[in-house]
Amino acid sequence: MRFVLIPVIVAVAIGLRVLLWQRRRKRQPVAETSEHEGAPPQPLRTPRGFAVGANLGSVGLVARREVLERVRGRIFRFGTLIILLVVGAAIVIPKIHTSHSTPPQQVGVVGAPNQELTQVIKYSGKQVKIPVEVVSEPTQQAAEEALRSGKLDAAVVAGDTILVYQPVSSDSKSDTATLLEVLAPELGVLHAYQQAGLSGTQIEQVAKARPVPVESLQANNNKDVNKGTSVIGVILIFLMITQYNTWILMGVMQEKASRVVEVLLAAVRPIQLLGGKVLGIGLVAMGQAALIAGFAFVVSKAVGSDLLRGTGGLLLLSDLLWLVLGYAFYSWLYAAAGSTAERQDQVQTLALPLSLPILIAYIYSITVASSGSPSLLFKVLAYLPPTAPFAMPVLVGLDQVTWWQFLISVVLAIAGTVVMAWFAAGIYRRAVLKSGQRVSLRDLRGGPRRPRPTSTPTVDPA
Amino acid sequence: MNRVGGLLELEGLRRTFGSLVALDDLTFTVPSGRVVGFLGPNGAGKTTTMRAIFGLIDLDAGVVRWNGTPVGPAQWQRFGYMPEERGLYPGMLVGEQVEYLGRLHGMSPNDAASATRAWLERLEIADRATSKVEALSHGNQQRVQLAAALIHEPELLVLDEPLSGLDPTGIDAIGHVLVDQARAGCCVLFSSHQLDLVEDLCEQVTIIDHGRLVVSGTVDDLASSGARRLVVRIEGERTADWARGLKGVSVSEVAAGEVRLVLDDAVDSDVVLRAAMAAGRVTEFTFARRRLSEVFRGAVG
Repeated sequence: MRFVLIPVIVAVAIGLRVLLWQRRRKRQPVAETSEHEGAPPQPLRTPRGFAVGANLGSVGLVARREVLERVRGRIFRFGTLIILLVVGAAIVIPKIHTSHSTPPQQVGVVGAPNQELTQVIKYSGKQVKIPVEVVSEPTQQAAEEALRSGKLDAAVVAGDTILVYQPVSSDSKSDTATLLEVLAPELGVLHAYQQAGLSGTQIEQVAKARPVPVESLQANNNKDVNKGTSVIGVILIFLMITQYNTWILMGVMQEKASRVVEVLLAAVRPIQLLGGKVLGIGLVAMGQAALIAGFAFVVSKAVGSDLLRGTGGLLLLSDLLWLVLGYAFYSWLYAAAGSTAERQDQVQTLALPLSLPILIAYIYSITVASSGSPSLLFKVLAYLPPTAPFAMPVLVGLDQVTWWQFLISVVLAIAGTVVMAWFAAGIYRRAVLKSGQRVSLRDLRGGPRRPRPTSTPTVDPA
Repeated sequence: MNRVGGLLELEGLRRTFGSLVALDDLTFTVPSGRVVGFLGPNGAGKTTTMRAIFGLIDLDAGVVRWNGTPVGPAQWQRFGYMPEERGLYPGMLVGEQVEYLGRLHGMSPNDAASATRAWLERLEIADRATSKVEALSHGNQQRVQLAAALIHEPELLVLDEPLSGLDPTGIDAIGHVLVDQARAGCCVLFSSHQLDLVEDLCEQVTIIDHGRLVVSGTVDDLASSGARRLVVRIEGERTADWARGLKGVSVSEVAAGEVRLVLDDAVDSDVVLRAAMAAGRVTEFTFARRRLSEVFRGAVG
């Protein structure tokens, strides 16, 4: 599973490179001041290379505004706190539940205590990790009375019958049911041994029989443990992709509704405005996801949870990478959709069809992650950019991919995102300035070019 | 030091929306150093033209040039724009918003901050710098919008209806800023339906109709051109019926007791004076220049 590290390291390296480049650019001295009589100070500008330098700068500025706006919001802060609490609880509570010393099961034995019987009862308890106390009951009536009053959980009568107060269903997970599931066949076996006339020593010897170990040629990959982790991962990817893309949808719609977009587009190009928004909200998303993942990691380590045992850490990194890729792919789609709406109700109409592929991929992935056996279709979906963010992490969790398959899927996702960005930018710049009217599909036709000034003479149709 | 002047040229702009021709071979220039009024009836194509200057719409044909170079991102960064549909982030603080737009136009953080302070001060809204935009009155929002268009000291300022919905104080404040900008070497183009204000503020006007240029020239030239005008005021007379029968004389406007007449070349003004005196006590009898509203009506008539 080390292959997961490769793309993550590459992504981090690229991120750091861009960050350093940006910082260096900021430190560069600005041009000399020019003065202006009786008016506010002139901006410091370098006329040459201005547009080139401003391109990445504008994206950065738009992104910065988005980050500040989101992070300042109370909803975001409280939301993050609540998610952290839920994640913490999800890790800690099962641990408390399993490590908590449950009261021992009281098993009554009618008649004089029988050593073999007591041993079998205690052995059964050990097998299912449930403490058991054997209580001697003088008569069956006394045992029944103790069952009714709750003093006993079960009673063995004459070595061949188990009495309980309420019927025990086969799918019950209670301690009594779990114990009886083992105790009943064991008692049957003991009874059979006694019937066959085996001596106490012989019975003990037979009772100590253990299943022979099954050894595999490949090392154990903790698949059961990762199954849980990948289910949690897919749920988080789903929640975060939906959440942050809804922000994009709303953000674009609000910019259109407030008409601020026309002022902005007079200064920056549509792709810069859109790119900055996607980047800004993406940074907030990743920051929040990294915080949650880091918190989950620390809490898991602290309480000794099984969630991140073995390759769980790598799976977590893979989940984070696919969260980034999934967000990047869908963000453009949501942005394009947002640019065609300028009212809340229009956004709601758009949100459902947009979320359908996400929802389907999510449900399918959860099903496969739980069952542990991916179909061919699922493996194909792991390479398609819209479904890969859900399907691929599951395959990673189930250890069903090699590093190069993973890499191919990542490359396809990035390529898909580039195509989607191109497509979305075209729709965006056509739709976002069409206020107060329905944006029809006809309006959205054509490539995302900005009008190129032409020097061709005007054609007068008259 | 004043800004280096520039020349905005629009050449052969054409844009259709389905069967509607919004711009039809529209050609005109806007020199710097003057406030140029951009007039036309509703639906004439003013907003489409302004959007075309900023590349906000695709043109079917034509080119917009700034100092001889077709406009592109580098030029747009040095232009200032106040669209007809005012647009600001409602929940963002006034100061932050203006500063942000300055930075999008390429200003450094320090310059954007100091220019924001200076412009809010100049437009008398400095005390609202830390208010949210949505908390401001319409007039003050308009001032913020203007500050946002001016923060980076643009070489070209394009304003779509900057004076609509403002009280007289607001109109004065914004009007002064526009004139000052033009004096400082900026190229100022603004549209308005308030022709009296345009007449006061502008040295030059460009009138379009149905996406075509109809009239362009200095206000002085346009006002002094055409037939002679007479302004006559008669005590207690508000209908101008006395003048309607006069040969070669047409009534151009009747407002607040003042009658504006257009005289053919052959008409003797004494004949008009006599007719006026017959109608009552004449309190005013003056030759006048054409008003901009008259130029406008004559052009798009």
